[in-house]
Amino acid sequence: MNMNVSTTNPVISGASAEKSPIVSLVNVSKTYIRGKLVALTDVSFDIGHGEFVVILGPSGAGKSTMLRCINRLAEPTSGQIFLRGNEITSAPRSLRKARQEIGMVFQQFNLVTRLSVIMNVLSGRLSYRSTWRSLFYSFTREDRAIALECLEMVALGHKAFQRADTLSGGEQQRVAIARALAQRPKLILADEPVASLDPKIARQVLDYLKDVSQRLGISVVCNLHQIDFAREYAERIIGLSQGRLIFDGPPSALTDDILNQIYGSRMESAVG
Amino acid sequence: MRRLISPAAAQPRLSLGGRAKFLFYMAGGATFLAWSANALELSGGELFHSLPVIGRYIVRMIPPDWTALDGLWGPTLDTICIALWGTVIASAIGFPLGILAAKNLNGSRVLRSSALAILNVLRSISELIWAIFFVSAVGLGPFPGALALGVNFGGILGRLYAEAIENVDPKPLEALRATGASRVQTILFAVLPQVLPQIVSYNLYWFEVGVRSATVLGMIGAGGIGFELVTTIRLYDFRQTSAILLVILGLVTLIDQASALLRGSIVK
Repeated sequence: MNMNVSTTNPVISGASAEKSPIVSLVNVSKTYIRGKLVALTDVSFDIGHGEFVVILGPSGAGKSTMLRCINRLAEPTSGQIFLRGNEITSAPRSLRKARQEIGMVFQQFNLVTRLSVIMNVLSGRLSYRSTWRSLFYSFTREDRAIALECLEMVALGHKAFQRADTLSGGEQQRVAIARALAQRPKLILADEPVASLDPKIARQVLDYLKDVSQRLGISVVCNLHQIDFAREYAERIIGLSQGRLIFDGPPSALTDDILNQIYGSRMESAVG
Repeated sequence: MRRLISPAAAQPRLSLGGRAKFLFYMAGGATFLAWSANALELSGGELFHSLPVIGRYIVRMIPPDWTALDGLWGPTLDTICIALWGTVIASAIGFPLGILAAKNLNGSRVLRSSALAILNVLRSISELIWAIFFVSAVGLGPFPGALALGVNFGGILGRLYAEAIENVDPKPLEALRATGASRVQTILFAVLPQVLPQIVSYNLYWFEVGVRSATVLGMIGAGGIGFELVTTIRLYDFRQTSAILLVILGLVTLIDQASALLRGSIVK
């Protein structure tokens, strides 16, 4: 279907490891219910090392589906996705290895609330350990050190041994960021990470995301529906509307005209 | 809010068709009960005439002969152990089958329906029948009793575990899948912590049921206090029978209370 794919394949183009993108999407499409519901149409873009990219669009634009295609929580219907030059769309064997390099942060935090904070962060280390070892809920000294260090990065080291459900929403999302960091990822996908938090706490969480991205050189792809947050935090904005990529550029290039295209008649609700 | 639920709305009146349907089902139910009473040869008169016989047996049970308690500690302990190991075996059988039977963990329809079928077979054959089978296979004693309880309760617990697993919050599972954790690791770190309180509570409850059940199993040769009970009946030593019955009553009450207390203390 995509005959021009090889020309955009970063491996074949021979770019050096540093300059090659961390993730490339090539003509990715996704349809649900046997093609009747189109979620993504022909989306292509590259994400560079350490970039903080915000995907902007109204709900239902396909932002979430797109992120999920990158770590294959959703399967693209067509097109290819490359993680550091390796195609991951057709390699089920290396899926665990690929996912290890991609942290994910969710709107609802998705912590195991009955477990302690530190156990939740240690869960990010599971992909490095054998299933046999996990049967005994055992981690290495290194794992524990990494988990604590990641918790310190989101300033929650002092709550390590509390049950996760005793923390506030903002704190839980920071634990989720620490869990993602414990994977030692090259990329973090954040799917509406602040949609269930009030604006002040939302800003705090986005600050932590931005901070770890800059300090550790981790690329972040973050879905947002708030334009003001996108303008403030993004180094680059990708605009999605009805499953199509209609803008890709710096926040300064995001004009009202383009916003109108992204949000259409729903503009007001997005600003408010 | 309160005004919304007016008394009239809270008690919808039966329509004419609804009333006819109601009468029809009532008549159907009554007919079936009458027919089955006939099949049972249920007869008030017979029961009335045999009342003196029952009374005579009860008189022969009084006062309880407490000498029956000599050497009863062993069999009582056996009964508790049968229930305990029955529950342990039931968990060992039910847990893997429950995971296989849970829709949200097992995508394979074939595997899932075979797990469900196995659980059905284990559950629908009573522990008494399993006990007869195991007694003839491994001989008299408490061991076949524990096996019988384990197999039958395994079918019940497996089904309960599967339902508990299907009701877990799926979001943490997805999060762990996204980290690259294996399927088993996801179960250990996202599913098990969520279902553990329920699993412990189910196990305690079925241990309680197991103690009651184990006394009956003893009567068909699977050891324990039930075996002692049936021995006294066979010897027409009804004063000893009543003493043992009182011990069973105390034991079951004690276990029920202790287990209810433990179950109540499990934090949700």
